[in-house]
Amino acid sequence: MKIAALGIDVGSTTIKMVAVNSVGEMVWNHLEQVDPRVEKQVDSFLEKLRNEIKSLEGIPLVATGYGRNLVQQAVKNITEITCHTRGVYHQLGHGGTLIDIGGQDSKVVVIGAEGQVLDFAMNDKCAAGTGRFLENSAARMHIPVVEMGFVALSATEEVTISSTCTVFAESEIISMLAQGIEVEPILMGLHRSLVKRVTAMVRSVGLAPPLLLSGGVVKNPAIRKVIEDETKEKVFIPEHPQLMGAYGAALFALGIK
Amino acid sequence: MAITTIPHRRDVIKDIKNRGGLVAAVLPIHYSRALLRAFDIFPIELWGPPKVDVSLGGAHLQSYVCSIVHNALSFLKMGELNVASLILIPHTCDSLQGLTSVLMDMIKPEQTIFPLYLPRGQREEDVVFLVDELQALYAHFSDFTGKYPTNEELLTAIKREELSDLLLLKLHKNRQQMGLSNIDFYRLVRSREYLSAEHFAALAENALQVTGETAGGIPVILSGILPEPMKMLDVISKMKGQVVADDLACCGRRLYQPGTSREPFRRMAERIIYAPPDPTRGNSIAERAEYLIEMARNSGAKGIIFYEVKFCEPELFDLPNLRNCLKEQGLASINIEVDINNLLPHQIATRIGAFLEMLDS
Ligand code: SF4
Repeated sequence: MKIAALGIDVGSTTIKMVAVNSVGEMVWNHLEQVDPRVEKQVDSFLEKLRNEIKSLEGIPLVATGYGRNLVQQAVKNITEITCHTRGVYHQLGHGGTLIDIGGQDSKVVVIGAEGQVLDFAMNDKCAAGTGRFLENSAARMHIPVVEMGFVALSATEEVTISSTCTVFAESEIISMLAQGIEVEPILMGLHRSLVKRVTAMVRSVGLAPPLLLSGGVVKNPAIRKVIEDETKEKVFIPEHPQLMGAYGAALFALGIK
Repeated sequence: MAITTIPHRRDVIKDIKNRGGLVAAVLPIHYSRALLRAFDIFPIELWGPPKVDVSLGGAHLQSYVCSIVHNALSFLKMGELNVASLILIPHTCDSLQGLTSVLMDMIKPEQTIFPLYLPRGQREEDVVFLVDELQALYAHFSDFTGKYPTNEELLTAIKREELSDLLLLKLHKNRQQMGLSNIDFYRLVRSREYLSAEHFAALAENALQVTGETAGGIPVILSGILPEPMKMLDVISKMKGQVVADDLACCGRRLYQPGTSREPFRRMAERIIYAPPDPTRGNSIAERAEYLIEMARNSGAKGIIFYEVKFCEPELFDLPNLRNCLKEQGLASINIEVDINNLLPHQIATRIGAFLEMLDS
């Protein structure tokens, strides 16, 4: 394995590292739950890699994501908007409107034909429209996060969750459960509520098809379906949707070499 | 220039009080400093301030009123305005109008409240309206102080402010050659909010003597009400951005031109009415867009950061159309909304950073 550059994405829930070769192909990646001691965790990632390729001497590392400023080992920090854009564009080879739903923040980026950021929107600091919204609600219903999309898709009907706020949605769920409403339609309603929040961001920048998806939440099949429902657009997903930030960062690092 | 040479607001107030002067707390945005000074009243502007116990003001205001108004009322209720003998509240927006009512009808503070109604246009009728308003304010100040400044005295006060404003304009024009960081530049120009015209003029003249390295970085315009929390300016610097011009209510929108009329009230009114475009004075979106495009052309700015106070109705009402208008003309912008009490959240720094990266790419 020949490594030319590294990228790391320190998100609010997970930390991902990607290594690329000299032509920008992803040759190694690693993902873990994020630890508050980020610097130490990055060291352990580098150690893992060193076990495989011996020396990392002269290989540049670019950091992105929520905790990018904590990565002392990085030669440069770049925002996740720019890195996700770079990663997705490089993998898919075309522009469009990228929706990235992360654990703590969501973003919509209009990517130009040459891969440049033309406009973007990001959720405010509240958790509405992010993975956290689903996580909190799943916990309330005792459903593992990884299963909630499948459970939602098994619903034969759907209820409307009127609150986009995580705290209010939780009270709404409690009252629905108390009324005897089944978990499946509530979950489907929750997915729609999250997606409506995200599609409002899409409208604020203007949808330039095709629609592209990245971020950890994309693993949830209900999210993809509801986004397609709401936008009437087919979505395109890169091979490693959760790694696009780290991949983009690695591609930037390659440019620094 | 060492930023330590800018006196602190608290010391300025103490100094005025020691000399037996009267202090007026003045809320945003437009008023005539000269009119107050002609009565020996020293205006100290109240843009919030940030970091106060907002629950005090919150007891009297709706939650959708902006943090500037919430904080101003909280500040008053904390007793921090006891140094002021009067409070001047320009009718800038419904929130400030509401504050006037709350103060006059319910809280009834020991300071006398003076409202100032501002017209929403630039027609001759608007000038006449404002002349009448300023004359009414003159009469109220006379009753309050027992003083009756003559026209000559009013003109002297006006010219003193005009001189200071010309220096303020020069600081804005020369900002890129002064070698000041974003935050130091705004600490300097915002001292106009509480320094007397004479004091500010001396400070500005000194600052203008100093030249430094031409500021580098991605050039941007800052628009909105005020750069609070001020740390945001450091974030822009850290992300390699440089504010090269502004359309801020507390700064660039108050670069008043000198007047020409020999009639003091008309001269005061015209200076305010013909100031740079401002949604609170009724300028249209087209006028504002044209002004901002011109500003970008002259300053070399690549984009605009609209840094808005949450719930600021006059600003936010126009913003979507204004941004579309700018976009159509090729000028990128971003909208960031803040509560002036909050620490700068990570998302805001990321948005500013991403915007600068977008402009730089
Ligand atoms: S921030 Fe906006 S709403 Fe608040 S006082 Fe200023 S102009 Fe009025």
